[in-house]
Amino acid sequence: MLAKHKLAHEKAIIQYLIVDKKSIILESDDAFFSNVTKQSITSLHPFFESITTLLDLEENQEYLFSCIHLETDNRNIIADITLKTFSKEHALLIIQDLTTHYDNYQLTAQKRNESVIDSQILELKNKYLIEKEEFKNTFIANFSHEIREPLSGIITFVDILGKTNLDSEQKDYLNIINTSSNHLKHMIEDILDISKIEVGKLNLIEDSFNLSEFLEEFVFTYKIKAEEKGLTFLNTIGEKLPPQIIGDPYRLKQILGNLIDNAIKYTTKGSITLNVSLNQVRANKASIHFQIIDTGIGIEKENLDKVFTSFTQVDTTQRNKGTGLGLAIVKNLVSLMDGNISIDSEFNEGTSFALNLSFKLDTKTKDKKVEVATVEKLGKDKYHILLVENSEITQLSVLKILAAQGKFYLDIVTNPDTLIETIQNQKPDIILMDINLPNTTGDQLAIEIRQLPEKELKKIPILALTGKVFPEDLKRYKKAKINDVISKPFDEKSLLKTIHKYLK
Amino acid sequence: MNISKKIVLLGHFGVGKSSLIRRFVEDTFTDNYKVTIGVHILKKEVVISPKETVSLIIWDLEGNDDITNTRASYMLGTSGMIYVFDLTRPATYEQLESDLNFIKTNYPNIPIKVVGNKKDLVTKDFIKQNSDVFGSFTDFYTSAKANTKVNDLFSTLAKQLIS
Ligand SMILES: Nc1nc2c(ncn2[C@@H]2O[C@H](COP(=O)(O)OP(=O)(O)OP(=O)(O)O)[C@@H](O)[C@H]2O)c(=O)[nH]1
Ligand SMILES: [Mg+2]
Repeated sequence: MLAKHKLAHEKAIIQYLIVDKKSIILESDDAFFSNVTKQSITSLHPFFESITTLLDLEENQEYLFSCIHLETDNRNIIADITLKTFSKEHALLIIQDLTTHYDNYQLTAQKRNESVIDSQILELKNKYLIEKEEFKNTFIANFSHEIREPLSGIITFVDILGKTNLDSEQKDYLNIINTSSNHLKHMIEDILDISKIEVGKLNLIEDSFNLSEFLEEFVFTYKIKAEEKGLTFLNTIGEKLPPQIIGDPYRLKQILGNLIDNAIKYTTKGSITLNVSLNQVRANKASIHFQIIDTGIGIEKENLDKVFTSFTQVDTTQRNKGTGLGLAIVKNLVSLMDGNISIDSEFNEGTSFALNLSFKLDTKTKDKKVEVATVEKLGKDKYHILLVENSEITQLSVLKILAAQGKFYLDIVTNPDTLIETIQNQKPDIILMDINLPNTTGDQLAIEIRQLPEKELKKIPILALTGKVFPEDLKRYKKAKINDVISKPFDEKSLLKTIHKYLK
Repeated sequence: MNISKKIVLLGHFGVGKSSLIRRFVEDTFTDNYKVTIGVHILKKEVVISPKETVSLIIWDLEGNDDITNTRASYMLGTSGMIYVFDLTRPATYEQLESDLNFIKTNYPNIPIKVVGNKKDLVTKDFIKQNSDVFGSFTDFYTSAKANTKVNDLFSTLAKQLIS
């Protein structure tokens, strides 16, 4: 019984054939190829046709051909085939079916080859993408660089043109040119920055700078910007912040500036808040926390992780134009500084950015407030200075100098028409007056101030800030009852000294 | 007169050896990749002239990224060789020169055709740009998929084998 079952299950796994040197089969046990005796071996399969040349070789040779696919009488097999020559007349062929064994090998090889090919193709794709990316970045860098040159020509000459005699219509047009070219300039700078970042060519500088001065100046600039759009600008600057730190003030300004510009851009009513506080000081490094909060349009949760990607603007309404690079630059700069940034937002409620940046402490540089000639005891804690000036550069330099003293509030009037009203509301201690103003002059304004009905207002010290200091100019200022003249360009010392002369 | 000649196809895996043979023998093509293990042997008659026919016994070898690992028994009695590389994968032609040197040293005087396959996937420009990489070694740029130069390849080799 066993023999019967065995027979039913047994598959032949080996066939022996004897062939002569003319390739004729002399004997066979017919396991895979049956009824083959007296036939030429070449009729069984092309494999045998290609080995006939081996049959008339010397005696006692043995050849092994492994893993040969054969189509036999009733199935396809994968076999090892051995050829043995005994005499010059006869050879033995052994066909051994190893299909099961080789099928396993086939599976392994299939997996291995496919994964190798996949990874080669992936590598190739990456290489291609990297090349494309590099090309893009160098192209952008070169291109932006080339564009800056003619653009700065435009900006310079718009500036010069603005100083010539223009009627008001022409001035309006010039203003538009000015705004547009500045906008373009900023976009190009953004693009340059991002391409520098991407090729790793953006380097940070290490400067020692006064943090509170930096922040005061910063708040000042953005307060004006926010208020121009009818937004409230709130800020809390932590008291424990280190005075003098080492880092890249320009890039810090860019980071905070981009975030606040963004906040202002996407907020139509409400407030912009800047909070700065100390996390901790460790190993001579201060970790500082910055938070920028707006009450703007907000970002939907699913778009939050896109905001830091180049060229992405989550708001696609085109209402807010820009390169969409600002936040990508911020993110990159923050990580260049080894810091971190996160965003939180509620759609239609507002957005807040939080970042932590570390700076080395500078303990060597002394607080560099100018000691103004052993100042007499001042009557007030803080003095209110009103600056009448429309040049941003002068505004900033005055602010910088005064902020470092910590003794002054500074307000700025750019539109002479609102001056009198401002004076009446704010009752400043000193007025710093530019002479060359739109539609009027500083001495003309001084005359108006001196004619004010309020006694304490008409006597406010007025200090002219001007580059026009020829004798006939000075005479004119005197006539207008301007108390003193600070000539442009001025330095810290001369500004402070003159101001101190008039403080009560 | 009908004589038969054994030829082998060599090259890295996945370059299209089986596909070229399938195109030549059956005039079919499939995008599915089935790895060849060991060797498949096929036969096809090539008519050289009204009087002359060659039976090519084509050995479709398992691909190998190291030519020195090719089983020596497969090469026994070979009359001609086709070395195939894949134009889309540099890894398959980076060793081209040394592979060919290896073949020439170990199997001297056996005619060989060098083939860049999958031409349908690359541009003419690409081939031009890489002329110094594989251009000087390559005899045919083929596509098994688009049926480009496949018959040419086999019949040119066949003619060479009987001359
Ligand atoms: N587009 C395109 N694909 C091809 C061409 N030739 C082969 N292929 C594809 O390439 C893959 C590999 O082809 P095969 O012919 O199996 O390659 P092989 O050289 O025999 O591979 P191994 O047997 O592993 O050595 C398959 O997916 C084919 O469809 C071609 O000319 N053009
Ligand atoms: Mg194959």
